[in-house]
Amino acid sequence: MLFHTWTFAAFFLVAYPAYLALKGTRLRLPWLLLCSYVFYGWWNYRYLLLIAFTTSVDYLVVLGMARSRRKKPWLCASLLANLSVLGFFKYGDFVVNSLNALLAWLGAPYAIASPGTLLPAGFPYLLPVGISFFVFQSMSYTIDFYRGRIEQEPSFVRYATFVSLFPQLVAGPIERASHLLPQLRRTPRVTAADAADGLSLFVVGLFKKLVLADTLALYVDKVYAVPGQHQAPALLLATLAFAWQIYFDFSGYTDMARGVGRLLGIRLMLNFRNPYLATSLSDFWRRWHISLSTWFRDYVYIPLGGNRKGPARTYANMVLTMLVSGLWHGAAWHFVAWGGIHAAGRVVTRRLEGTAFYRERLPRCVKQALVFAFVSFAWIFFRAHTLADAWLIVTRILAGSLADPACPLLALGLVAAVWAYQFLYESRLRRLLEPAPVRIAFVIGMILYIAIVPTSGAKPFIYFQF
Amino acid sequence: MPAQPTAAPTHKPDAGEAPFAANAIRLSPREWLVVLAIVAPLMGLVPILWERAETFAPGDNCRIPFELSSDYWVFTRMARRAAARDQTLLLGDSVFWGRYVTRDRTLAAQLNRLCGKARFANLGVNGMHPAALAGLLEHYGKAIARRRVLLHFNLLWMSSERHDLRQKKEFRFNHPALVPQFVPHIPCYRASCADRIGLVIERNLPFAAWTRHLRVACFAETDVPTWTLDHPYANPLRQISLAVPAAAPRPLDDQRPWTARGIARQNFPWVPLDSSLQWRLLHRCIATLQRRGNRVFVLVGPFNEHLLAPSSLAAYRDRKRRVVAWLQQHNIPHLAPPPLPSRLYADASHPVAEGYVALARQLLHDDAFARFTGDRARVTAPRPR
Repeated sequence: MLFHTWTFAAFFLVAYPAYLALKGTRLRLPWLLLCSYVFYGWWNYRYLLLIAFTTSVDYLVVLGMARSRRKKPWLCASLLANLSVLGFFKYGDFVVNSLNALLAWLGAPYAIASPGTLLPAGFPYLLPVGISFFVFQSMSYTIDFYRGRIEQEPSFVRYATFVSLFPQLVAGPIERASHLLPQLRRTPRVTAADAADGLSLFVVGLFKKLVLADTLALYVDKVYAVPGQHQAPALLLATLAFAWQIYFDFSGYTDMARGVGRLLGIRLMLNFRNPYLATSLSDFWRRWHISLSTWFRDYVYIPLGGNRKGPARTYANMVLTMLVSGLWHGAAWHFVAWGGIHAAGRVVTRRLEGTAFYRERLPRCVKQALVFAFVSFAWIFFRAHTLADAWLIVTRILAGSLADPACPLLALGLVAAVWAYQFLYESRLRRLLEPAPVRIAFVIGMILYIAIVPTSGAKPFIYFQF
Repeated sequence: MPAQPTAAPTHKPDAGEAPFAANAIRLSPREWLVVLAIVAPLMGLVPILWERAETFAPGDNCRIPFELSSDYWVFTRMARRAAARDQTLLLGDSVFWGRYVTRDRTLAAQLNRLCGKARFANLGVNGMHPAALAGLLEHYGKAIARRRVLLHFNLLWMSSERHDLRQKKEFRFNHPALVPQFVPHIPCYRASCADRIGLVIERNLPFAAWTRHLRVACFAETDVPTWTLDHPYANPLRQISLAVPAAAPRPLDDQRPWTARGIARQNFPWVPLDSSLQWRLLHRCIATLQRRGNRVFVLVGPFNEHLLAPSSLAAYRDRKRRVVAWLQQHNIPHLAPPPLPSRLYADASHPVAEGYVALARQLLHDDAFARFTGDRARVTAPRPR
């Protein structure tokens, strides 16, 4: 179920009044859990078994840890179960296809069957929507308990609600148990201010998705579908357009998720903070998909040693973390290449970012432009269908052959307007954006634009595939 | 150091609370009420003001331009205009609309010519099968309440499971926005649940119908962003004009008779009347009109029987007989004229220009039709042979 569809509107019109009516009763959390399962099951009810499995395993593992002196075997069991689910459904085909390609190259006369053949009849082998998000969220609970950072959650219903909470179930933000479970324990209260905040977030997210992301997607899809038929200007503009498309798409989803959460009285974490105004790559990762970046920092980079074991290990840890992050995004080599490019960028710029020249003498806008250019370059590998396509796009852009890019001025104008807004918001002139009439005018403008102009048909979110 | 996001001044964040957002767009409950107080009336008023500002000249005979076939807002306007002139309204598919003829040679135009006055208005819509017509009348036809309606039933819509919308395989038919979205179930219609709910909402919101009008009339039936892909450097605002596009002066298709166009004899696999979805939804059309106080006259045909293979012809006649029996049983005035001469058909159901003249004469010399029109449309033209 997508937030920007009428199906979700109908679902929410049923779920929300009942949720409000159950205020002060024990039924509120079970109702939220039921709604979350309906929300997920709408895509494919069979895959509810996966969420139920992940939830049950981690709940029982923590129960076992709490009653046992030896916690490590329990943690290993949880990691094994979660990563097996993730590996089978998300990476199974990728691994098998890669191995088969290798076997074919070696001239072996056999091939490994698709992992889907292991599933019972009638159970389609699909990439479960949002699997990377809910598995990571559930794993963080067991790891944090193992580290003694949180308490055991006694209520299975509350824990299941934490794992499957519908606003953030399929594309994050990846919440931590220490942040979300206490909110669920208090039984969320919904105030008028919460409702107003939720609506504000939702409208902004809807605008980002329906107006900005989907408009840019038309041009990006057209160019990236057949990159060989386009010259440098079109490929360059489509790449820059994709940089904004994926930002608007994903941050739009997050805004809507946070808005729905706020309507339910639940505060979800901020996931994006104007990432294209970052002045360094490390700054970019503090602003982009914050919940995932901090997850990898806390559960991969730091356990690997972080920056505590000398420069060589620090760089190795950075590279490994970025490669895993690339692979998290998708089971394909071009995602690994995307992670590798970011890793290389971090390795090269880490020292530079610390120099006085970079910090004090280089103008802020130059740093922002450099970071944006690098991130956009990396997006080529993320968006292209294959590594070969990505390489073709890079070489064509560098070759610089000119041709009319036929990029809609409307799309470019929208991006320019949003960029200007962000610059203004992070500058001293921000006060110009804060008076009530200005904010009201923005909201009215967005609502009317959404009502009149957007693309027809609901396009899914890019990050649903992860 | 990057600027830290803070909330807009209307709310002070709690201690330890996550930052609200990375923009200043945060409204208080009172400010949302202001938004509601501005947006809701605006959405209600825009279609009304637009209708007043937009020029619209369909002529005495009317006819929706082919390009605006799915612009139901224009249909409503045309229906309202015809109803205000107390014209008899011709409702149906492209047979009434006039696929092979110009605007001044349709059935409505020929009836008006024979009567000597603009008593009839062509509200036919290209591709408007009964299942869609039921939706059109229900949601966009309220303006024609208590008016005389000449309703067309084209048996071609029962000529196969596909035409009857009963085949299980997905099939993209005309006017999906008008057919029943949930009940009765249409097996070949595979729109997502979200799209179906959206269409139901669109039917009930004049503002949504108006936005469809903009898309159809100004942006070649597509949305603005998609239109800009084909016109990357054009200003979309310049596309918006305050005039409903006029109908093309030429007919849509080749006007020659079917025999000259190389159409072979057909052996249609007619669907049984009892299980026909289109027939059932024609009942709904009639019921809607009767509920609104309309006087209804049903024209069954004119179908090109010359085009049918013998076995198919027998099945067709059986269905036609049963349709007529049903209309008689329910006291609904009707005419099921004998087939026109073969040369007057352009295909299975559309007459050529002379065919409309003959059909108009048949109607005007029919007693039931005369009673239906209040005898106002009697002519002294020779009886059709």
